Amino acid sequence: MAIDVVVLVSIGRHPVSGRARRADADARAVELALGIAGAHVQLVHAGDPDEPALRDYLGMGANAVTVLRMGPEADPVSVLSAHLSSTKPQIVLAGTRAEGGEDSGLVPYLVAQALNTPLVPGIVSLSLVGERAEMLQGLPRGRRRSLVSPVPLVATVPVMAPAPRMSAFGLARRGTIAVKDADAAADAARTAWTEGPARRRPKRIKVMKAASAADRVRAVTEMAAGKGKVLQNVPPEEAAKAIFDYLVTEGIIQAKP
Amino acid sequence: MSEERIRRDPRAEREARRGRAPQAEDIPTPVAAEASPSGRVRRDPRAERAARTSRAAEPATAAQPAAAPESESGRVRRDPRAERASRTGRAAPAAPQPAAPAPAPSGRVRRDPRADRTAQRQAGVARAETASPVKTIADPKFLILAVPDLEDARLSSHDKDVIGAARGLADAGGGAVVVLAFTGPEGVKDGLDEAGADRALRFADVSFAGYAPERRAAAVLAAIQALNPRHILFPDTGVVGGDVGRRVAVSLGDRVASNVQRVAPDRITRRGRGGRADFALAPPRVLLIAAEAADPVIDERYEARDLPAPRIEALSHVEDRGLAATDPATVPMAEADFIVSAGNGVRDWDAFHRVAAALGASEGGSRPVCDAGHLPRHRQVGASGTLVEPRCYVALGIAGAPQHLQGISKVERVVAVNADAHCDMVKRADLAVVGDVQALMPALERIAKERRHGN
Repeated sequence: MAIDVVVLVSIGRHPVSGRARRADADARAVELALGIAGAHVQLVHAGDPDEPALRDYLGMGANAVTVLRMGPEADPVSVLSAHLSSTKPQIVLAGTRAEGGEDSGLVPYLVAQALNTPLVPGIVSLSLVGERAEMLQGLPRGRRRSLVSPVPLVATVPVMAPAPRMSAFGLARRGTIAVKDADAAADAARTAWTEGPARRRPKRIKVMKAASAADRVRAVTEMAAGKGKVLQNVPPEEAAKAIFDYLVTEGIIQAKP
Repeated sequence: MSEERIRRDPRAEREARRGRAPQAEDIPTPVAAEASPSGRVRRDPRAERAARTSRAAEPATAAQPAAAPESESGRVRRDPRAERASRTGRAAPAAPQPAAPAPAPSGRVRRDPRADRTAQRQAGVARAETASPVKTIADPKFLILAVPDLEDARLSSHDKDVIGAARGLADAGGGAVVVLAFTGPEGVKDGLDEAGADRALRFADVSFAGYAPERRAAAVLAAIQALNPRHILFPDTGVVGGDVGRRVAVSLGDRVASNVQRVAPDRITRRGRGGRADFALAPPRVLLIAAEAADPVIDERYEARDLPAPRIEALSHVEDRGLAATDPATVPMAEADFIVSAGNGVRDWDAFHRVAAALGASEGGSRPVCDAGHLPRHRQVGASGTLVEPRCYVALGIAGAPQHLQGISKVERVVAVNADAHCDMVKRADLAVVGDVQALMPALERIAKERRHGN
């Protein structure tokens, strides 16, 4: 029995040119879904069915995308929840956050709440063993945590996940877009917000409390010398032992007892 | 010409013309002036001038209580500096002072900038030893809850930024900061008091460690129920703070503000549209703070009084099977946890690869090494390579060009091995060995194999 996997896809924006494209994290979620053995992958998008960038997902190998037609700034949560409640997929995947709107990353959480399923954040791989999903969660510093969860579940895929495959032109042309009309309520709370271009902030170099400008300049430019321990005229064996002991006491590596 | 003719006094004549009689003080007293044999009184122009100027100087001397020394001629000497000081209301610069600064005649204590500077220089060491006084907020008007990630039971710089943002919100209206810490059984390694916590709510139970977002969210919700904080702040990180924060917001039925770039009590700025737009809005209850959105608390201590932690009943459907083994060679440089890096001092490349493998570290290199083709380009550390932030960076034979040091500016612990005792990398290092890298690498490999792998 094939397991139904639904990937929620959105329209992203290229960070430099601002052109519409497949969203980076969503494309990685599609890549992850296509790699699950024994899965039947469906794509669901809430928005404009005539958006050309939508075909980038079809070009990755998915046969069809279901579009729930709604306005550009409408709230997709109720529409997606209603659709998924009726189709009841076992696994719902989504990128951690969108890249064209509010980008709050809250949609998967609200969908999981509506479907009453557990949510697993930040997974970089998923495989099915019977009715259970074995996942690797991506942690900072290159670490991975192994998790096992029963289906149904909702999971989010970060940009840390493996890179998506390229979109093939022929597949993108042949794929079908099924449109369902949905009435999404406009997002009322957003009207009170003011929007402006993102202001770049200076990168923080050093946190310090300086009395004067001269102190600040000195703190940034001067090399703080003489705070570390220096071993001179030590034989290599002893020096290596000192380095190894330092790494063990700082908890960087573990020595066998 | 007769002897009896009266000598003209041009000044007196001038005054008389102006209708002013020559006054007694104007004309020198004849005490000192001796009568000349002709009987006429001889004038002493110098004495006249002195008498006139001494009168003019009188108001200035009156302003100065200290008696100015009188000159031999009897006139009071002017002190232009003191006059200027009394006019501007500032104490005149001090004359060389004895050890204790005596109050100036104006009553203000005089500063000695040079002595201040030397004292500051000496205090650099002393300040670290003497703890700053604890700031206490006994009766806060409201509470701000901050939930740091505490990865490895340490406050990351992002965690400190979040507590700093909470501090800013609290201080703006007389509130207090409550830090909710999932400490693990061994407690937090950094002090919550120095991070800026007025109250601390510690969950030390081991069930909060590892993968436990449901339990953590339940704990935060219980704390919200008990304390009713005005805002709840999380670091906007992928799988800890950002995840728990969104779960809490969904449970509260509240809208979350993620990727918050700037925090003020009435208005926050959050980033959206793929990082190309800023939205300004009134702050919702749950705020997910971006890194460097606020400055951390430094050189201050707060109370960090412990609050009773409630009991949490929540179970997870997701089973945590612990950390999976990862190959350090496949980890991207920017994510690497532990890097052993080679510079121009390394000539035996086989030994270098063996020592990195024995220590279980990712390999890195300086620009010249990658230019020469000893390591692939994606292994380059520095301004034109990757900016790395591992927990520990071992620099073998790297002198430390400024561009390379930029690349490791965020690294906490640096170990350096270099033949030159005066190079910048040795100055930067927490542990430095001055000596031959070639001889040290096999020794380090041998010890690592013996004590890590037992062979």
